[in-house]
Amino acid sequence: MRQGAPTRAALHVANLLVIAFFLLPLIAVVFGAMQSEKSLHADTRGLWPPEWTLDNFRVILSGGAQRGKVFEQATYLPDNIKKFHYALINSTVIAVSVTALTLIFASLTAYTVVRLRLRWVAWLMSVNVFARFVPVIVLMIPLYIAFRQMGLLNAIWGVIVAETGFLLPYGILILVPYFATIPQELDDAARIDGCSRFTAFIRVTLPLSAPGLASYGAIVFVIAWNDLLIPLILNNRAEFMTLPVMIASLVGDVFAFFNLTMAICLIALAPTVILVLLLRKFVVQGLSAGALKG
Amino acid sequence: LTARALAAAKPYRFSRELSPHALGVAMNIPTLVTLALVIAYPIYYAAYLSFHKVSLAELRRGIFPFVGLANYTRIFNDSLFLLALKNTLIFTAFSVTLELVLAIAIALLIDQTSVWTGRITKFLILVPYAVPPIAGGLIWSFIYSFEYGFLNRILFTTGLSATAVNWTGHPATALFAVAVPYIWRTLPFAILLVHAALQGINQELYEAASVDGAGAMQRFWHITLPLLRPIIVVILVLRTSFAFAVFDEVLAITQGGPGDATWVAAWYSYKRGFSPPFDIGVGAASAYVLALIVGMFAIAYVGLIYRRIR
Repeated sequence: MRQGAPTRAALHVANLLVIAFFLLPLIAVVFGAMQSEKSLHADTRGLWPPEWTLDNFRVILSGGAQRGKVFEQATYLPDNIKKFHYALINSTVIAVSVTALTLIFASLTAYTVVRLRLRWVAWLMSVNVFARFVPVIVLMIPLYIAFRQMGLLNAIWGVIVAETGFLLPYGILILVPYFATIPQELDDAARIDGCSRFTAFIRVTLPLSAPGLASYGAIVFVIAWNDLLIPLILNNRAEFMTLPVMIASLVGDVFAFFNLTMAICLIALAPTVILVLLLRKFVVQGLSAGALKG
Repeated sequence: LTARALAAAKPYRFSRELSPHALGVAMNIPTLVTLALVIAYPIYYAAYLSFHKVSLAELRRGIFPFVGLANYTRIFNDSLFLLALKNTLIFTAFSVTLELVLAIAIALLIDQTSVWTGRITKFLILVPYAVPPIAGGLIWSFIYSFEYGFLNRILFTTGLSATAVNWTGHPATALFAVAVPYIWRTLPFAILLVHAALQGINQELYEAASVDGAGAMQRFWHITLPLLRPIIVVILVLRTSFAFAVFDEVLAITQGGPGDATWVAAWYSYKRGFSPPFDIGVGAASAYVLALIVGMFAIAYVGLIYRRIR
């Protein structure tokens, strides 16, 4: 339908408002991360910063060893910031492992749901839908006690196991509808050619589900990278922190001023934002599939 | 011969192949073990803990004395818990309602493909979804900051106000200051669902209505909204149950303050369980109450989804 000029102008304005709302925090984080503490103090009323600097990143990435020009006066740096590189490595290791594990486990289960038609598997599927709703805090209190007794606190493995379990139900919900779109005939044909059911799954279903696996993989990576509560409760030593836990540890710390915390936030959000923008199509498909076809 | 007919004609059992049942068990072992360890056992153990006294001393000794319903009577006599529940309800009602209205409006907006700015909006929609909630929360708390915040800078620069506003410092506004970043982060998901549903509406309905002389508003009320009803219900149930467990934004922006104005249910369980005096039994009991409330929404959701399939 064609709109008149006033309608089109109104629609442009509406779009610009929405874009401004979505981008405002990104602009704020970039502005904050690229200023010195002094310049934040100097002008508290203007929008445009009086000076720009990359020193915040220099301090963080060097673990406090290099103090750029603006930090010459700084006498104290929170210990956690000095161990920033641990958080970066831990976050990467955890998010990648959780993504790999959940992809494998969820596709194995999703295949049995779609192809084997067993009653107890269908039952497992409906339990899954419920499992997605359990608030993390409910699981974390008992997991904390159990992991404490097993000596799994402050261990990367503990977080990987907990996050994998927490994300599996969602993954199965996304992959089942995707696997269901792959024709059963392809499986049958592979079996006539001498494949067992399992090799048919590996050689036929999995390669054809690449888009579904990409959707789910991207979503799991984002959730695992962003998750706060699980690593916050299980790991409290700086060596085992993830980026979100480190950010949480700096909330309310008077020695970590906004310029430093904004620089850390910018480093923490960059990988997931870039990933999601690159895999936009897949993420959109996965999110709608996971919500609608239980 | 089709593959299916061939399959029926010649049963292809290999000497080594597992029966479907055994294969089903084998392929589900990783999932079953993980879910048992991380979901099923904790749900049972949380219930167990909620009926026992568990704090630092008991943790050291490893013996948790049974106290019956004492933890539950304690939380329901704790005015802070009741306040946290009330705050959670207000937070949820406000954020879910506003989010739904915005999601429908923005989905309709990006559906206007002839407006080129809409393509930019569409491209950027997923950005808030990708930002770590704790980072998003901290960025918003920088935006709100009384002395250095962007919101006050915008007010000064545009001349709307000469004095700084303390956005998160007033009990009356603090909860809404937490809700806005939460809406910012969760809006993309709702927009995507509404937008997907809009694609499924038959365009001929609109053309027919236009021929009959229906204006834009009438078309929205009599065609779009009724056809969006199923997806609106799905969004309401999903978002409500997740908003009940809000945590990251509270930690990043207000830590429950000012006073106790932004204590919500998950924050209550966390503070009771993981800050002195580490009353884990009470934390577990309050978390269980939260889980039961959310569980009711889950049952409603499953009912809805299954009705849609049949």
